[in-house]
Parts: sequence; C-alpha cells; structure tokens
Amino acid sequence: MQDNLLETSMLSLQLLFSLDAELWDIIGVSFRVSITAILIATLPAILVGFFLAMVDFKGRWMVIALFNALMAVPTVVVGLTLYLLLSRSGPLGDLHLLFTQPAMIIGQVALAFPLLVCMSHSAFQSIDKRAWETARTLGANCFFAVTTIMKEARFALLAAVLAGFGRIISEVGCSMMIGGNIMSYTRNIPTAIALETSKGMFAQGIALGLVLLILALLLNFTLASIRGKGRLV
Amino acid sequence: MGLELTASNIVKRFGERELFSIEQLQVQEGESLHLSGDNGVGKTTLMKILAGLDKPCAGRINVTPNMKGRWSTSLHPKVIYLHQTPYVFSGSVKDNIAYGLKLKGISRGQIKRTVQSALEWARLEEFADHAAHSLSGGEKQRLALARAWVLTPGLLFLDEPTANLDKQSVDSVTELVRKMVDGGAAVMISSHQTNPLTEVCQRSLLLADGKVSESQFPKEMLFDA
Repeated sequence: MQDNLLETSMLSLQLLFSLDAELWDIIGVSFRVSITAILIATLPAILVGFFLAMVDFKGRWMVIALFNALMAVPTVVVGLTLYLLLSRSGPLGDLHLLFTQPAMIIGQVALAFPLLVCMSHSAFQSIDKRAWETARTLGANCFFAVTTIMKEARFALLAAVLAGFGRIISEVGCSMMIGGNIMSYTRNIPTAIALETSKGMFAQGIALGLVLLILALLLNFTLASIRGKGRLV
Repeated sequence: MGLELTASNIVKRFGERELFSIEQLQVQEGESLHLSGDNGVGKTTLMKILAGLDKPCAGRINVTPNMKGRWSTSLHPKVIYLHQTPYVFSGSVKDNIAYGLKLKGISRGQIKRTVQSALEWARLEEFADHAAHSLSGGEKQRLALARAWVLTPGLLFLDEPTANLDKQSVDSVTELVRKMVDGGAAVMISSHQTNPLTEVCQRSLLLADGKVSESQFPKEMLFDA
C-alpha cells in the first residue's frame, strides 16, 4: 500500500513537471473560468457591501442576513438551481448555456458574490465613519470618497477577493452540474479530481490537488506579506 | 464677496426626542465663535449639520457665495469640519496633507510646494514621511489643521479640538487656529469648557435646552485654563 502511494505520488509529480497536456488543459480551464468569475463578481459585490455598511435603510438587517444565508448554501444547491434555469426546458434554456464555460462562470459568480458581499460589508463596517466624513469635508465627491474608503479597507477587501477565489476554484458541485465535466472544455481541477478518483486513477488527482494546495499557499503568503508591509506602526 | 453661512429653522430629532430647534444662526467671514454647552446637548450634531455632513430634520442652510461642485449635493468646498479626534488616512503625513489638493486637480509641483508650506506652517516637517497613524493626539490635530489650511477654508468647524490634549498641544493648536483667523477664515469652536483656544473667539454661543443663544458670561470669569 505504501509502495503504491509513493509510486502514485511520483507519477503525479512526473505528470506536473512533464507539462502533461491534458493536465495543464484542466488547470487552464479552472483558472480561466474562476478568474473571469471573480473579476465579474468583485466590483458589484464590494459596492453592495459598501452600501450595506454605509447606508441605513429599512430592512437592511434582513438583506445582510439573506447574504449570510446565501454564503452558506451548498455548491450543489446553487448548481441544481442553475441547472433547472439553464436546462432546455428551463426559463433560460433558449440561451443554450448548459454545459458551457459561461454557465460555469455564472455559477461561480453566484457562489462568490454573497461571500464577497459579506466580507466586504465587514471590512467597511470596521472603517471609522470619520473616514467618510473627512474625505467628504476635504472636497471628495461621493465617488472619490468611496474609493478612499476602499483604499482604507484594502487589506480586508483583498482578503475577501482571495477567499472568494479560493471558494470558487475549489468547488466541485456547481461546476459538475452545470459544466458537465467535458474534457478540454468544462473539466476543471475539482471535477477532474472527482472523476479520476472515481476511476481509481489517483496520479492525476494528486497532481491537481497539489496545484490547488500550492495556489492556496501562494495566495495566503501573498496576502500575509502585503498585510505585513501595511502594518500600522 | 465674503463667505456667509445662514441656518434657518434648523430642527434635529432622534426619534421622538427633539435635540434642538434653532430659528436663526449666522456666521460671517472673519468671525470666530465659541459654541459652548454641556455634553450631549448636540454641539457636534449642529456643527456637522452646518458643515453639510449631517442632515437636519427640518430647516435650511445657505452658504454664499455658492461654490458647490458638480457632483456635490450638500457640501461647500470652503466649509470644513474637523473631528474631535481627527481621522488620519493611511499613508504618510505628506499624503494626508496632499489629499484635498489632489482632488482639486492641482499640478504635482504645486502640490509639493503647498504641502511643504503646510508642514512648516504646522511645524510638522520632521514627521513629513512618518506614517500619519503614528502621530500623537496633538500632532494629529495639527495635521488635521494643516490638511484643512491648504484648502484655504472660508469657514472652519472645530469640534472640541483640545479635548484630551496636554497644555503644550493646546498652545500649538491655539497658535494655528489664531493664524487661520488672522488669515480671514471664520471659525466655530465647540467646547464645553473654556481654554486658551476659546479665548481666540470674539462671539460666544450657548447651546442649551435645544436653543442657541448668545452667551453673556465675561470670558475672564469662564476662563479656567
């Protein structure tokens, strides 16, 4: 068993470093889809988070509670909902998006959005109200005051974006349901790991798992180093 | 034409509770006012309303000449409000002073020269490249004044600027405020007690029982510094 594990691990490293076309194709799909999704979701989500933190309106706590609840919805439930919407008989069936990369992007945007809203809301909440008032009284219009507040909360916002990216690049349920796991098109790292493991082919799964592990380490070290440089004293 | 602020029939309520109701309040260029009153009577709220940072429940504030920017709906560029404990943005002391200048679209060279003058004006040269967060309370107050000074305000609201400051810091802040008043800016200083800074003021207003009235107490009697 130990020999087997060692052999599989060596094989997975060989796959990674020999630039195996199939493996890097899967990695490419993963990054293309998830980076696009996070780019689409980030700005609107941050603005919603800002609005929820700064503007007092009736029912605000309900909206915040709703986003918190959405953040906890399992990825397969989001996948199932989108599947029903995008399937041929669904209300958006005519768009023919099911089992395409755009469908995966929509799914990942839906997954990242509540997380980004909640985390950016917390980030803005932690910023002193005086920051907004100071910016405004020194001549900033609303747009520049918002950008000032974003700058003040930049480390927390960056953490939110990285957490959102981490969530969507590693999720399997939604991508499997609406992506369909089609090789060279919608097969991404998590769906490939699930498939290869179910076939008993662990080498590719381990190699892809290593990619996710390295990515997680890189993202967290990057964030930690930026935070370190931005320390207060 | 000098800057003139007129507040008419200003009412502020929090729920059912009426904080204050002010029929008429006028501040003209060059004036210096001390707004006194006990804690919790609404001095900060009133000053924020006058500065356009808060909205009254009723009434209107008129600042002439009107110089509102295209995107601004409530703030006058020559009216500046300074918090009791100033908020300093992340970045250096220089960055903080340059904040308002950058928004005006002034050239880099001009900003650099103005920031240098402001550093000298507020005697903050030695802290120019320090992180603004690392300054002491008195230094932050001077930074806030310098940050406002570069924008040549016509009317400056100072909310309890000497609260929690030691005597030396109070003297430094007083000196800077006096220079601004001498430069022609109108200032309104809120403070629940008198000190060397409030001595700068020509008029004394009292906010009590939800009304503003001219305070009749001679300064010598009130002065307790």
